[in-house]
Amino acid sequence: MNRTAQGIVLLLLGAGALSSSAFSDLYLNYVQPGFRPFLIAAGAALGVLGVSVIAGEARAALRGLPGPETAPASGSRADSDDHGHGTPRVAWLLLLPVIAVFVVAPPALGSYTAENAASAPPPSSSGSDGGGDLGDLGGSAENGPVEMKIQEFIGRAWTDEKRTLEGRTVRLTGFAVANPEGEGWYLARLQMACCAADAIVNRVLITNRPEPEEDSWWRVEGTWQPPEGDLRSVRNHRFTVETMDGVENPPDPYE
Amino acid sequence: MPERPGASAPAVRASLGDSLATGWDEPDGGLPPSDWGRPRGPRRLATVWVFALFTVVLAAGNAWLSDRLTSEVFLAWATVFTAISLQALPFLVFGVALSAALTAFVPASFYRRVMPANPFAAVPAAGAAGMVLPGCECASVPVAGGLMKRGVAPAAALTFLLAAPAINPVVLVATAVAFAGQPEMVLARLAASFGAAVTVGWVWARLGRTDWLRPPRADHDPDAPRLQVFRESMLHDLMHAGGFLVLGGLAAATVNVVVPREWVAAVADRPVLSVLALALFAVVLSVCSEADAFVAVSLTEFSPTAKLAFLVVGPMVDLKLIALQGGTFGWSFVRRFVPLTLAAALVFTFVIGGLLL
Repeated sequence: MNRTAQGIVLLLLGAGALSSSAFSDLYLNYVQPGFRPFLIAAGAALGVLGVSVIAGEARAALRGLPGPETAPASGSRADSDDHGHGTPRVAWLLLLPVIAVFVVAPPALGSYTAENAASAPPPSSSGSDGGGDLGDLGGSAENGPVEMKIQEFIGRAWTDEKRTLEGRTVRLTGFAVANPEGEGWYLARLQMACCAADAIVNRVLITNRPEPEEDSWWRVEGTWQPPEGDLRSVRNHRFTVETMDGVENPPDPYE
Repeated sequence: MPERPGASAPAVRASLGDSLATGWDEPDGGLPPSDWGRPRGPRRLATVWVFALFTVVLAAGNAWLSDRLTSEVFLAWATVFTAISLQALPFLVFGVALSAALTAFVPASFYRRVMPANPFAAVPAAGAAGMVLPGCECASVPVAGGLMKRGVAPAAALTFLLAAPAINPVVLVATAVAFAGQPEMVLARLAASFGAAVTVGWVWARLGRTDWLRPPRADHDPDAPRLQVFRESMLHDLMHAGGFLVLGGLAAATVNVVVPREWVAAVADRPVLSVLALALFAVVLSVCSEADAFVAVSLTEFSPTAKLAFLVVGPMVDLKLIALQGGTFGWSFVRRFVPLTLAAALVFTFVIGGLLL
């Protein structure tokens, strides 16, 4: 890979990082919202580096610096022309993320992953985020619906020994996922800690509405069906839907 | 360090240590000459045309393909690959820039003052220094290379490489958040990672040979402008590490999408096997060290020691990292360093897990 090519590869890579973060919300499909400044900084740094390398080459070309054929040791030059610059050929793979961003622009993970990914665990100890936190459900009026993330909802449902969630109307947003093992379907949302590679799924089981199209997004209002017996042995928390509205894909598909 | 001419690229890799060690003090072993890699005029122009064509193909491909790609598996794979690449990119750029700054702006005498001259004393010091670099493993590889370039003992630089991604404050806080109510997990991770990193450093100081490592480029021309040294160092490191990072990302995305979680869960109740299984899972999954605690906590079927193995092995040995190390230090290094690191990480996992968890 000659230096002009190296410069152009870095410039393209920088352009890919910048166009997916500074000029669009595409990056939300892959990484956390808070990651945006770092992506922009990295993209800008790559772009500046690439441009400066290309500019250096262009200046050299204009000044008519001696090309390889006029240099003395032409024998070794012929060899080094292909691989003597210390640039491994694998560096061409840097174009793959560029292609991924500009050509494929893959969507956020959806029902395929939700069916296969690990589901969120019950909170590690009931004392940690239970207790005081559970007392305050937020929400405006006593009976107004409470907007919750699915992650919060099931976290509460797993530790809600006092059943404070019971009877409260809750509003959840997520996408539809089939339940291959039995009745009903899941309203799911993927939760990511760092990037889409570590996504885990949070989901509630819905049985009192017909299954909508997979991957369609819904905002549902309804109530928790408190399970019988030990809360922490529950695998899927059930949710009784009262109203259900389709939504456009939320700008941040993860929670 | 430019590869020696006269051998094809794969052959150079196979015997990198030897072929380079014999000749790397030749006069042109320093910064490449200024006409290094400059192609003939027509070729330089041809490069520009090829990339212009590539850009047009990108645009056409986007218009033609975007509605035709519907395979769920492929799209999930592409999403995970893009996510790993984009997520690692800022860390790589940051690490490469830091390494270039160490090379260009910090005088070599500084390291001689700060680091103990004796490698056995320098190793724990380097491990402790790893606590302050808030990054993931992609950043630490180029930084360790930069340290070696400036004359820090390889054993100490390697200890830093292993310790920094595992025990920096960001990672420890993330672990504490993920394992809320289990502070002993944070302590166990700190102890096991630091112990393994220092042990590997000491073993390397005792047994390691310099010619296993691809020699770092000799010190730069003292007359070259610092900004130019900085730029050349960044370009060199990015070109060497970047492609391998993408390679590791391809492998990790494939494993992530193809291997069902049930396979992993199937061994959860076997005491020793489960630890080894999660260690292997950490190697192939290549999750960044700032996120791995959240993945570990989701593996609820497993014992705390098995989760500890995931947290200790992941930042030290994973596919992405192996590819990156191979690109930076050469494959004859990876062949020896990776098994050593894996063994040390597992031993410390079992010992610390037995004591604390």
